[in-house]
Amino acid sequence: MEFMPQMQMHQPTSVEDAVSLHGAAPDGRYLAGGSDLLVNIRRGIEQPDSLVYVNNIPEMRAITETSDQITIGGAVTLRELSGNSAVAEHFAAVAQAAGEVAGPSHREYGTVGGNLCLDTRCVFYNQSEWWRAANNYCLKYRGEICHVAPGGKKCFAAFSGDVAPALLLFDAEVEIAGPDGRRRMPLADLYRNDGMDHLTLRPGELLVAIHVAKLTTSISSAPIASAYAKSRIRGSIDFPLAGVAVAMAVAGGKITDLRIALTGVSPLPFLAKGMDDFIGREGDETCLEEIRDKIRTQAKAMKTTTTPPHYRRRVAGALAQKLAASIF
Amino acid sequence: MSTSEQDIIPVQSIGVPKPLVDGPEKTTGKAMFAADFQSIEALVGRILRSPHAHANIIRIDTSKAEALPGVKAVVTEADCSDSYGVLPIAMNEWALARGRVRYRGEPVAAVAAINVATAQAALDLIEVTYEELPAYFTAADARADDALDLHQEKPGNIEREVDFDLGDVDQGMAAADLIREVDVRCAEVCQVQMEPHAAYAEYDPGRERLTIRPSTQVPFYVHKMLSRTMGMADSHIRVIKPHIGGGFGSRTETLQSDLIAGLLARKARGTVRVVLSREETFITHRGRPESHIKMKVGMKADGTITATDFSVVQRGGAYSGYGIVTILYAGSMIFGLYDISSVRFKGFRVLTNTPPCGAFRGHGTVKTRFAFEGLIDDMATELGLDPFAVRRANLLVAPTMTENDLLVNSYGLDQCLDWAEAASAWKVRKGKMGPNKGLGMACSHYISGASKPKHWTGEPHATIHLRVDWDASITLLTGAAEIGQGSSTVMAQCVAETLGVDMSRIRVIASDSAVTPKDNGSYSSRVTFMVGNASIDAAQNLKATLVAAAARKLEIAPEDVECLGEVFRGGQQDQGLSFDEVVMEALKGEGTITVKGTYDTIPESWGGKKYRGAAIGGTMAFSYAAQVVEVTVDPYTAEITVDKVWVAHDCGRALNPLAVEGQVQGSVWMGMGQAMSEETQYHEGLLLHANMLDYRVPTIIESPPIEVGIIEANDPHGPFGAKEAGEGSLSSFLPALTNAVADAMGVRATDLPLTPDKLLELLEKKARDIKASGRAA
Amino acid sequence: MKTVLSLSVNGTTRDDVIPDNMLLVDYLRENIGLTGTKVGCDGGECGACTVLINDRPRHSCLTLAVTCQGARIETVDGLSRDNRLSALQRGFDEKLGAQCGFCTPGMIMASEALLRANPKPDEAAIRNALAANICRCTGYVKIIEAVQFAAEIANEIADEALAS
Repeated sequence: MEFMPQMQMHQPTSVEDAVSLHGAAPDGRYLAGGSDLLVNIRRGIEQPDSLVYVNNIPEMRAITETSDQITIGGAVTLRELSGNSAVAEHFAAVAQAAGEVAGPSHREYGTVGGNLCLDTRCVFYNQSEWWRAANNYCLKYRGEICHVAPGGKKCFAAFSGDVAPALLLFDAEVEIAGPDGRRRMPLADLYRNDGMDHLTLRPGELLVAIHVAKLTTSISSAPIASAYAKSRIRGSIDFPLAGVAVAMAVAGGKITDLRIALTGVSPLPFLAKGMDDFIGREGDETCLEEIRDKIRTQAKAMKTTTTPPHYRRRVAGALAQKLAASIF
Repeated sequence: MSTSEQDIIPVQSIGVPKPLVDGPEKTTGKAMFAADFQSIEALVGRILRSPHAHANIIRIDTSKAEALPGVKAVVTEADCSDSYGVLPIAMNEWALARGRVRYRGEPVAAVAAINVATAQAALDLIEVTYEELPAYFTAADARADDALDLHQEKPGNIEREVDFDLGDVDQGMAAADLIREVDVRCAEVCQVQMEPHAAYAEYDPGRERLTIRPSTQVPFYVHKMLSRTMGMADSHIRVIKPHIGGGFGSRTETLQSDLIAGLLARKARGTVRVVLSREETFITHRGRPESHIKMKVGMKADGTITATDFSVVQRGGAYSGYGIVTILYAGSMIFGLYDISSVRFKGFRVLTNTPPCGAFRGHGTVKTRFAFEGLIDDMATELGLDPFAVRRANLLVAPTMTENDLLVNSYGLDQCLDWAEAASAWKVRKGKMGPNKGLGMACSHYISGASKPKHWTGEPHATIHLRVDWDASITLLTGAAEIGQGSSTVMAQCVAETLGVDMSRIRVIASDSAVTPKDNGSYSSRVTFMVGNASIDAAQNLKATLVAAAARKLEIAPEDVECLGEVFRGGQQDQGLSFDEVVMEALKGEGTITVKGTYDTIPESWGGKKYRGAAIGGTMAFSYAAQVVEVTVDPYTAEITVDKVWVAHDCGRALNPLAVEGQVQGSVWMGMGQAMSEETQYHEGLLLHANMLDYRVPTIIESPPIEVGIIEANDPHGPFGAKEAGEGSLSSFLPALTNAVADAMGVRATDLPLTPDKLLELLEKKARDIKASGRAA
Repeated sequence: MKTVLSLSVNGTTRDDVIPDNMLLVDYLRENIGLTGTKVGCDGGECGACTVLINDRPRHSCLTLAVTCQGARIETVDGLSRDNRLSALQRGFDEKLGAQCGFCTPGMIMASEALLRANPKPDEAAIRNALAANICRCTGYVKIIEAVQFAAEIANEIADEALAS
């Protein structure tokens, strides 16, 4: 019950051309891999009249490493990202997260920029036009009510990209190009806690690259280890029911640095609060259980998936506990 | 040609691994599935579906759609001559809803147009006025006293209530040393065959004839329902079954899309292609119903089962479909696996405002088996018995007749148990698996075809034609539907083996109503048994013809002809005749050779009459299975990993061991999906799971190695002793899994699928209970 | 809204005028009649439509044909060379990696990409490479065996091709 609407395709080879082509057709969309956008177009959730394809832009296709940072082009595929040795060495959680997105064929063309700018997801939203019409649509698109929390005026559609929490651990910055030129901002500032409008990108803006500074040691000079894990019912393809990225440094058996970021449990990926409280603690069972509980209370999953939110909250804590235990 | 006896031996085709006769078409992309047919003039057929779960249709106005340029036909119930259905006693469905819609997504109208965009635009122009009615999405709501009846003729929304009380349950319970009960809920599941439903219909306006290629397991039923719905003579319809991308029961009844394609083609007086989306394929459904089972079993201290008392409530969906049969199987198939005689059963098949359920692999038996095998496992534990021992304490001895008059002529469950126990090293590993790991086992069985056909006409169960012409190739004509299960290969093997010729001589032409003999279709694992036997019969008839010709040519008596497959001769010293020479002789004066073979079941296999519907379960032979499942549970996330499965399946003679393995592995794995990840979910009757992300068919990552032990307890009536191989080992996976989880974690799961959220709740409850009992102590 | 698409499909160079909104799978199946590639879902969920673009596996149902300008597309229809089944086509046939055959084109193409990059994959590598392809018949056991068999005979077939 779906079909592709009429669209015009542009295939620029520079960021500047991409931005100006988009500017000429404001109802268009940037297209990278398309693993998310084309599904949404087929379902009528997105109805752009033109697409600006960014995968032919060399600048956006490269991973470059300098002595103190790594720059990842927005159109680098998830397969390239997960297989990049420099990324794996310095930002293990990022490589792992990229390797956990969807399935292997999706990672062949799905891009890191696309994963960071992934539309939020909800079982009442990611459905066909017939389905959504039969359900009187929803707050996020064309409708008046939220079926997750009827009565409310907030959309809880969950951000479900895997890579963002891993990058948040390392204070990654995103480089944005738009009609007013280029700007850089912390990745965390790309997002807002609103399932209807979760990206802070302005009209016509394009995520060109991600810059991550190498942080080989924490303040205490202990090496930082990081890891990513996601909960899903199947071993592949599925979006995260909850995704957890952990970066931790341990010296003398004590935590010297701890960061945990979450995805899949709210409209935006975010760094968990209160992790500094664990600095100086030993990684015993009590400490790990406290980490679990602290994450659990911050993972406020709602009924946006067919798996109950109760589990997604608990498993977010459990994954944090498990990853922290594995790093110790 | 050498004449020494050693080097002329008939070619063996049975009992050796054989690739499928249609394998190369599938691996090269040449196999044509329904959606692959196209022509320049083919129109796009699209279906308008009800947004409401339950509503009266006040008015349908198609005039604007009809006026849209590029629209060639619009059809509604007004174009349908009659209702349809799969059971002659319950045909209450219409290709396009008449008067009332009863589930969200039910087809209401359809259009044929020159392209997708026009077809979609036309759907948007059809105006339907509905009057909404109260809708019921659970069996309990539909059974409430004040619930509106979905169908006038089904008061209380009960499709069928089944009752039986056999043996002496009260006495059996009184004689038991241990009585335990269980309350089990199993989610509705869907077949999700890889090919979305499709049909390619060509209408010949000059001759008023319809040719259709539907994605179906039952071309004959589709043929019957097309003529009924379209008001056409059967003889004016030709049904050609293309390659079929799986079925698992979703296509064992005529689907609306088949009928709509025919209606549109006739109205457009041309060719129409109807290809459903995956979402529409989910809406079409015909899966396994959500079930609620309460079961009580009495057991002696030695494990002997003394009585079983159980009830099953199935949420059947909005129309009858196979419902009556499904609820009957849920009761009758408690028998046939073990030596039990005292059983009381109460079953309710309920009509609800959800898509209609149907016959899913293991039809009707799976959830009952899950409840029973989990319950007796717990009782064994309580009695200090090994799970294998409790099964062995209740074995049947064949030949026998069960308490509900099911014929058991062959029985390999004991050997299945031995194999599974040895292969899994159960005796040395059980109880010593270490933390969070466990082993579980269970048994199951299934019929080799229902012995009484649904449409009783007095015809044989199966008919096969063989044709041999001057080129000396053998053409096997069958109506049996090859759907990927390998039925065409089995038939070719049976014929080749009977004649002793190489399978390459045989070409199978399957399921074209203009060419092939009628067959009821591929369901209830009937094809190998029934059509296999008919193939053998046909081959024997052909052999007699060829032997007679060889005798003529060799100038000896037919009884003196030695048929060695590719060579016919009078004796060891005789140079003999080649197959081709014999064929040339046989054609003299006769022309093209055509022979027929048939098969009929014996009345003893037709099931009993002790209660209404007792024939359901009656079969010529049961397959048997026992399996061991090994699991590891992640204590943090409660995710279950199935590390390995060992499954023994008694299929009688394994005609094609390669295909048997494939069928058994597929069955076990499909059971795994149902046990662990698959379920349909609705939001006020709207499918939340109508895509392959939210309906979680297992991927290769979490799918375990499955080691198959083939047990050959040959059946005296089976083709070369064979029985079914494609369904019987599905249902034992579910309880074997939960038994393994019980072994690993000490919790009993009774709610399927056992997704991590449910297991985590069980583990947390157990932890709370331990804490509470610690405090109490 | 229309573009001339120049590309290579199964070794043959083509130029076709196509609308910009055309999905690669529709181009292959509807425009040029290569129906070997299958559609099993409504977008990226099943893997049946997997084809190779420049040797790498990709969902043709989530690829716009116009983005394949200059690309080398391969489908299951073109894998047989000189009328001989490829190693994977033989493997899926002889080891019963294909039952109904509907997922098979996608499975074979995903496996083809694997074997080109890694001619001797272990079981884990096979599982990882096929993790976006759903099969509903086999439970995957014989699919793994089919790929293993194909890897074994691939060298054999290559040698024969050289000899002939």
